[in-house]
Amino acid sequence: MGNAILEVEHLRRRFGAVVANDDVTLEVRPGDVVGLLGHNGAGKTTLVNQLVGLLKPDSGTIRVGDADAVADPAAARRHVALQPQAQAPIDGLTPRRAIELAGRIRGLSARDARAAATALADELDLGPWLDRRALPEGGGLSGGIRRLTSFAMAVAAPMPLLVLDEPTNDIDAARRRLLWDAVRRRGEEGSGVLVVTHNVAEAERVVDDLVILHHGRVVASGSPARLRGTQDSDLRLDLQLQPDGQDPTDDMAAPVVIRRHVRAGRRALLTVATDQASAAVTWATSLRDQGRIDGFALGPVTLEDTYLALTGDARTESTEKEPAHV
Amino acid sequence: MSESTLATQPRTRPTTLPAPSAAGALTTYSTLLRWTLSQIGAMLPLIIVVQALLAAGIIVGFGFLIPDIDPATALFLSTGAPTVLLLTLGFVMVPQGVARARTDGTFHYMRSMPVWRPLLLAADLTVWVIVALPSVAVAVLVAIWRYRITLSLDWPVLVAGTVLVTVTAAAVGYAIAVTLPPLLAQLVTQVLVFFVLLFSPITFPLEQLPQWFQAVHDWLPARPGADLVRAGLASDTFAASGRDLLVLAAWCVAGLTVSLRALVRRG
Repeated sequence: MGNAILEVEHLRRRFGAVVANDDVTLEVRPGDVVGLLGHNGAGKTTLVNQLVGLLKPDSGTIRVGDADAVADPAAARRHVALQPQAQAPIDGLTPRRAIELAGRIRGLSARDARAAATALADELDLGPWLDRRALPEGGGLSGGIRRLTSFAMAVAAPMPLLVLDEPTNDIDAARRRLLWDAVRRRGEEGSGVLVVTHNVAEAERVVDDLVILHHGRVVASGSPARLRGTQDSDLRLDLQLQPDGQDPTDDMAAPVVIRRHVRAGRRALLTVATDQASAAVTWATSLRDQGRIDGFALGPVTLEDTYLALTGDARTESTEKEPAHV
Repeated sequence: MSESTLATQPRTRPTTLPAPSAAGALTTYSTLLRWTLSQIGAMLPLIIVVQALLAAGIIVGFGFLIPDIDPATALFLSTGAPTVLLLTLGFVMVPQGVARARTDGTFHYMRSMPVWRPLLLAADLTVWVIVALPSVAVAVLVAIWRYRITLSLDWPVLVAGTVLVTVTAAAVGYAIAVTLPPLLAQLVTQVLVFFVLLFSPITFPLEQLPQWFQAVHDWLPARPGADLVRAGLASDTFAASGRDLLVLAAWCVAGLTVSLRALVRRG
């Protein structure tokens, strides 16, 4: 630790009988983009609300910059900009004005705030909407443009720590890319960034480190490569199961060594070694020919496999099999 | 480190950015005020017009309750109507506005920003004062036209009384909305309006109430507020006491304190 911009240690917060955060420890260093992954209800937003002092932890410490966020939340808020999961309140405002106002509140001069709005419009391709007013009941601007505006409001002024809660919801593919580029750029400029998401595939490409939260606990953390947990030589055999969901590996031994077995809906994701690729394809082809699976795909192992294994529907870890639990 | 090795070397870690210096209180307040006014935006003129129409409605409508209204009663009614308006605005529109802000995330968003909490409240209350004050003027003008009353304005008392009544009502309304669950808050505000309209000596003289109820009103904000505004509008006929001012100010401080506590409090 030491030079981190955000240090959370042994954080615990419960709501009645539900433990929303259970001994959560994580850190974000300047320049790092850290992904906080987890299913709905994993405790991500509870954690975020404690960082900005809207919720009080039952125990544990949060340090943001040089401020103790538990003892002095107002001081902590000066170090952090939050893009909340809900849309920012911009009804009646144009994106330009919203970004300027947010910048002003975070200490930018009127001129700098105007410059920030123009620059962000370019960076996020907001130009055509920049001077269009958001109307009540979601009128005027689409959800995606509102979300981008909300992101731009959070990054209007350079901040030591950015907390982005599901920043890409509703945003189209092209602008999603622009947004992630903008996130990376903030990192390069020295901000520490904590990105809350449940989109594993996106997070894998963008973040330096990941923290996976499940039922309020950190179940894994580290770089995406480390979390994938397999050699680069491993492959993923993705079996698309039939509507009855019968998994062919339930009642027969596979002719390949399965390093990891994850069940995700009507898919069985098997991790196999590269040198067994041809045997795996032969086996899968025969399963398909027998009508036992709908189809299959063989590709590199992704973080999604690890994530699913850690957060629920896993049945097999390495070679041992456990009964499925859904 | 040469350009060519940069790509292969681990990148140098940037130094921590300094926390931006907070905007000054005045800048923050004016920014929040512009933000809140923009949110009401196009509806603001309409809200003010409707408030003004309600003001006229109270003057004309209450007159129907009293056939052959005499000048003294007309003056009492006319000088009480603005207070009825200000109190109902604070007890009804403010809690509804706060409830909306709590549901649509505005409340949460604003509280996540580095903003000194009293400024959040101040900006909100300022907007309500802007909405409320024109209706006082309309009520008075309609009263002059309808009942040919003659006013004797005491400007300092009138301005202080009107602003204090508005801020008190808005602060109490705000406090109700941030303290109680939405449905309960709605219920309470409904009861309050009923109480203000029918059981508070604002548009009728205090003496018409039973003795014990008169005493109760010594400690509630309605009667002192009404008397203050009345003394500002017709200083020749009515006077307010320093005690009225104190009672009203105490309610104002209580409303502000509860509201601020709710803005600061962490769940």
